[in-house]
Amino acid sequence: MPLRAARVGRVGVIGAPVARTAARTAVVAKAVTPGPAPVAKTAVVAAAVTPGRPGRRRRI
Amino acid sequence: MTATSLDELGPVDYLVVEFPAGKSNFTGEMAAELLALVDSGTIRVIDIVILTKDEHGTVEAVELADAGELGELQALEAELAELLAEEDIEHLAAAMEPNSTAGVLIWENLWAAPFASAARRAGGQLIANGRIPIQAIIASIEADEALASVGD
Repeated sequence: MPLRAARVGRVGVIGAPVARTAARTAVVAKAVTPGPAPVAKTAVVAAAVTPGRPGRRRRI
Repeated sequence: MTATSLDELGPVDYLVVEFPAGKSNFTGEMAAELLALVDSGTIRVIDIVILTKDEHGTVEAVELADAGELGELQALEAELAELLAEEDIEHLAAAMEPNSTAGVLIWENLWAAPFASAARRAGGQLIANGRIPIQAIIASIEADEALASVGD
C-alpha cells in the first residue's frame, strides 16, 4: 500500500476488523427486501422521528 | 495536543463509503457537500484515504493527495492529520467487497464539542455511543406495522 511513512508501524485507532453495516443487525435483512423505494422509506423514517407525532410504544 | 485542546475535542467519527465496480458516478457533488460541512464549522475533516479491493481481496490504499485532480478538496488535503495507521486501513478494508472502491473519512464533530466539553466538566463520562443505520429504523417501523396489521 503506497501509504505515507507516518502511517506505518503506529498503533491504530480502529482496533479490530470492521463489519459491513448491513450485516450488523438481523432486522436490516428485512429492511432491504423489496418494497417502497428508498426515498419513500426515508420519508417514513423522517415522519416517525418527527416530534409531536404519536409515540411508538417502547417494549423494554 | 495539549490537555486543554483534548478537552475541547469533539467526538470523532469515521465512515467507509463503498462504490461497487462500475457503479460510481463522481460529479463533484460529494466533495461540495463535504466542503459545505467544513465551511459551516459543522465538522473538521481529520483524514481521508481511498481504498480499492480487487477480486482476490488485495487492498490498495491511496492518499488523497495522490488521488489525482482534487479540485476543491485541495484545501482540505492540506489540513489532514493522517490519524489512521496502516493497521486501521486493513481493519476498515475488511468491510469491503471484492472489486470495489471505498472512501474512508474521519472527522471531528465540531458541533458536538461544546456539549461534550460541558458533559465532561459536569463529571460525565461517555460509556456508549454509536450510529443507528437508517435501514434498522426502517425495519423497526415495518416490524411494528406488520405487528399492528396482525392485530387487525
